[in-house]
Amino acid sequence: MSRNLDQIVAAIGDRKPSLELGPVDICFLIALHVRAEAANLTAFTEQQLEDVFAQASAAVPPEDGSVRRRATPAIQRLRGQRLLARVDGQGVVRTGEFALSRLAIAIVEFYLEEDVLTRASLGVLTASLRTALADVLAAAVAAEQPAHWREGVVGPLQVTITELIAGIARRQRGLDLQQEDFQAEIRRLLEADWFGALDRCQGLLESTSATLHELNEVLLRDSTALLSLLHDIEEQAVMHGEAEAESAAHRLMDQIDRSVAWGSARQRAWSEYFQYVHRYLRDVVRLDPTRALTQRLRDQLAGTGARFALAHAGAPSLRILRTVAPARDKPPVVRPRVSRDQEPATEAGEDPQALLDAKVRAALGGGARALSSVTTAVTGELPEGERFVEAGRIAHTVAQLARVTAAIERPWVAVSAELEVEDWRVAALEGKS
Amino acid sequence: MKTGYVELQDVVLDASFPELDLALRRGRHVDREDLAWYTLLTEAQDLLETFYRRYGCELVHKADGYFYLLPTGEKLSRRQLGAGDMLVGQALALLYLDPATIERGGRATTEDVIAQLVVVLGSDALIRAFNPKRRRKVDERVAQKTVRTKIGEGVRHLAALGFVDVAGEDGAIKLRPALLRFAEPVRGLSAPAEALAKLVALGEVALVEPEVEKAADSDGDGDGDAPVADVAAPADGSGHGVDEDVEDDEPVDNDW
Repeated sequence: MSRNLDQIVAAIGDRKPSLELGPVDICFLIALHVRAEAANLTAFTEQQLEDVFAQASAAVPPEDGSVRRRATPAIQRLRGQRLLARVDGQGVVRTGEFALSRLAIAIVEFYLEEDVLTRASLGVLTASLRTALADVLAAAVAAEQPAHWREGVVGPLQVTITELIAGIARRQRGLDLQQEDFQAEIRRLLEADWFGALDRCQGLLESTSATLHELNEVLLRDSTALLSLLHDIEEQAVMHGEAEAESAAHRLMDQIDRSVAWGSARQRAWSEYFQYVHRYLRDVVRLDPTRALTQRLRDQLAGTGARFALAHAGAPSLRILRTVAPARDKPPVVRPRVSRDQEPATEAGEDPQALLDAKVRAALGGGARALSSVTTAVTGELPEGERFVEAGRIAHTVAQLARVTAAIERPWVAVSAELEVEDWRVAALEGKS
Repeated sequence: MKTGYVELQDVVLDASFPELDLALRRGRHVDREDLAWYTLLTEAQDLLETFYRRYGCELVHKADGYFYLLPTGEKLSRRQLGAGDMLVGQALALLYLDPATIERGGRATTEDVIAQLVVVLGSDALIRAFNPKRRRKVDERVAQKTVRTKIGEGVRHLAALGFVDVAGEDGAIKLRPALLRFAEPVRGLSAPAEALAKLVALGEVALVEPEVEKAADSDGDGDGDAPVADVAAPADGSGHGVDEDVEDDEPVDNDW
């Protein structure tokens, strides 16, 4: 299917489908279907609908406290849910004729259906499938035109063969339901007649086991032949480039595989169930024919008598030793005996001004006769960011150490790429003490 | 029956034996569901009975179709189920006997176990049984949650011992024949007290005195400390083992 699940669900959800049917409604539908089959009716008049409703509602016990519903609202309800459709198209001209819709027939068939897979029905279905598939294969071999493929191969594969395989699947579901009923039946039998039900329970178990075994055998045997035929059809389709026929054959092979898998799974599950119930019948029912054990165990659980506990072996798990590195001794935590506080001591620090004085003297002694020259000499080793601050200190120191003179218009002289100073002339050091 | 095991060596060399041996020593009950183990035990029963007797154990084979190892001496550690496990086990045994379980192929749920216990004990007694140390009145919701939690733990513990299987995402419990051990004291025709005395003598069960539980309960802090059980000595003349082992080594399996 090309559309994905979300699209399908959304499309259905948009239509806001809902079904609300009570027992009377369902019985009404079933009664209509049965009446139609018996009398070969294709549609019902309004009077017939009311008669059938009266008959159906008379057979159904009224629900708690509710009065029996009347035909008109019941018919309206079924029409509203698209279970009953007016088919005459005459409107108000005359009273209408009504027929069950496909949905209503599906519901009725579900309740009436007794299609349970039996060896006979499975044999008939697989034989029909074999015959139909052989015909399709012959048509595939003979087909020369695309139209031949559509009519002789794709059509039958999509309709006839699919219906036959769906028939097997439907009967398989019927058998599933029947098995559920068997399991409930065994329970009911035991509850009703504990020890007396033994033989009937065993009979039910044996018959169901035999049925499943036979069905599985038939499925395994016939599925091989069916798959082989489908495989041949698929090969023919591939040879002729008929993609539609190929995918139809492939889809049917998957369906047959699923049917075979169903058989195996059900037989396995039933085998497990069979063993359990067989053991139960042997160990519980046979050994406790009066069913006293349950009551005595219930009394025991309720606390009558001494309390006890079951004993059992309890060897610990094996211990696997691993190499452990010896732990190092940690030094003990101690407090120093001497005081951690120390008396402050006087230490001769370096006087930055003295250092600067020395540098300026050195520059002046080196022959620098302008503030800019001294500044260049002293700040040359400093990082760029510190030169501006240091330039001010240098000017102050030069003025302290030497005699300086300045013109009225002091020239700006570049000391470095980012620093300029207003220049002074500086005399030799001898001029100032 | 023709078996392939002539000597004990043949059994020990079987590929399944190491796992089976360990499982039995840890208290696992083995039935037909464990097909390979059960077949090995059935075919080599005589040889293995002698083998385990040397360890002071009995390899017990019940007619219901399961095996387990029962220590009767002191060589192999011996344990006993806790009070909560016993309640859960008996409820599961009741479910095993119930025809309603047949419809589901011997499967039950934890909710079924709780419902069974509520039917038999009543809600209040059930809450008291699983909240023994709560002297103060506690929130009912909390107490109920504790009951559910402890019943779940009990089911898992019994599953480890082979009484049930817990399988599937829905937590379905598959009931196994070994559950009938919980019904042993009431299975025979004799009076339950008499049957119980016999089982005590065989070392199959241990009597639990309420005083011991109460004493253990009263000194607890409410978190489910394991009560030390008073266990009667087996009648095999060993005169030791169960009491000492149970008290000194492994008091009980579970904390309740």
